Amino acid sequence: MIEIVPGARLPERTLGPVTMSDIVRYQGASGDLNPIHHDDEFARAAGFPAAISVGMLGAGWLAAYCTEHLGEETIRRFRTRFAAVVYRGDRLTASAEVVRLFQQDTESRVELSIRLRKDDGSVVIDGTAEFAVA
Amino acid sequence: MAIMPIERGKVREYAVATAAARPAYLDDPKAPVPPTFLATVVFWTPIGETLRGPEVLRACAEAGVPADLGSLLSLEQEYVFHGPPPRAGETLRTAERLRDVRVKQTRDGRAMVIIRFTVDFHDERGDLRAECNYTSAYVQRERP
Repeated sequence: MIEIVPGARLPERTLGPVTMSDIVRYQGASGDLNPIHHDDEFARAAGFPAAISVGMLGAGWLAAYCTEHLGEETIRRFRTRFAAVVYRGDRLTASAEVVRLFQQDTESRVELSIRLRKDDGSVVIDGTAEFAVA
Repeated sequence: MAIMPIERGKVREYAVATAAARPAYLDDPKAPVPPTFLATVVFWTPIGETLRGPEVLRACAEAGVPADLGSLLSLEQEYVFHGPPPRAGETLRTAERLRDVRVKQTRDGRAMVIIRFTVDFHDERGDLRAECNYTSAYVQRERP
C-alpha cells in the first residue's frame, strides 16, 4: 500500500501485447460488437490500417489497476479520455499519480490522474479517478 | 428506460475481461461492479439512442458528416458513483438524456459533431446510484 499524498505514484502495470482474444473477450463481455474492433476489412473501409482495439477495454484495464490499489468498493468517479487508437500487438503501461486529497459529501477522497500509454510513450488514455479513503 | 439486474456471473465475466480477476469480484455473491461495468447496460437497452436523435442528425447533415458506425468515435466516458458502487443482486433502472451537440474541426481540418449524453442509474428505492457521461463524435472520414 502506498502512502496517499499528492505526488505519490502507484507502481506501474504493463498490459499486452494486445491480442484479438483480448478484444473479442471484452466485446463479448461488454456487449459492444462494433465490427471496427474485430473486422480488419470494416476498419480499413473506415480509414484505419487494421481493426482498432476497444477504448473501453483500455479504460477497463485502467479501472482494474486503480481498484487493485485503492479498493473495489471505494470508487466514486472514473473518467477516461480516449487520446489514441490501439492496434493488436501494442504493449501498454498503466500509471497513476495522486493529485489531491479533498472532502466531498462528508467523505475523504483522493483524486488520481491516470494514464495508459504505449511503449513509445504516446498516450492512449488519460483521465482521473476518485476514491473514498479512510 | 430499462430495468437492469446486476448479475453475479456478468460481474465475473466483465472482471475477467478487464484483467480484474480478483476475489472481490469473483468470489463475493454480492460483488461490487467494476468502475466501467455499467457499460454492459447495452444488454438491456440500446444506449446511444440520443446519437440518432433529430438534433444530432440535423447537425451531422449540416456539417456533412455521415452519422454511421464507421464514423463514430468514443472520445470520453465518465462514471460517477453516489456512494459505493451497485452490487450483484441489485436491480437498477436506467434512463438516457442528451446533454448537448457541438460541431468542431479536427486538427487536420475535418468536421466533427460532438455529442454529450448521460445515462442515469437509479436503484429500487429510487436513489440515484450512478451516472455515466458519454462524449462521442461523428467524424468526417476525409477532408472535403
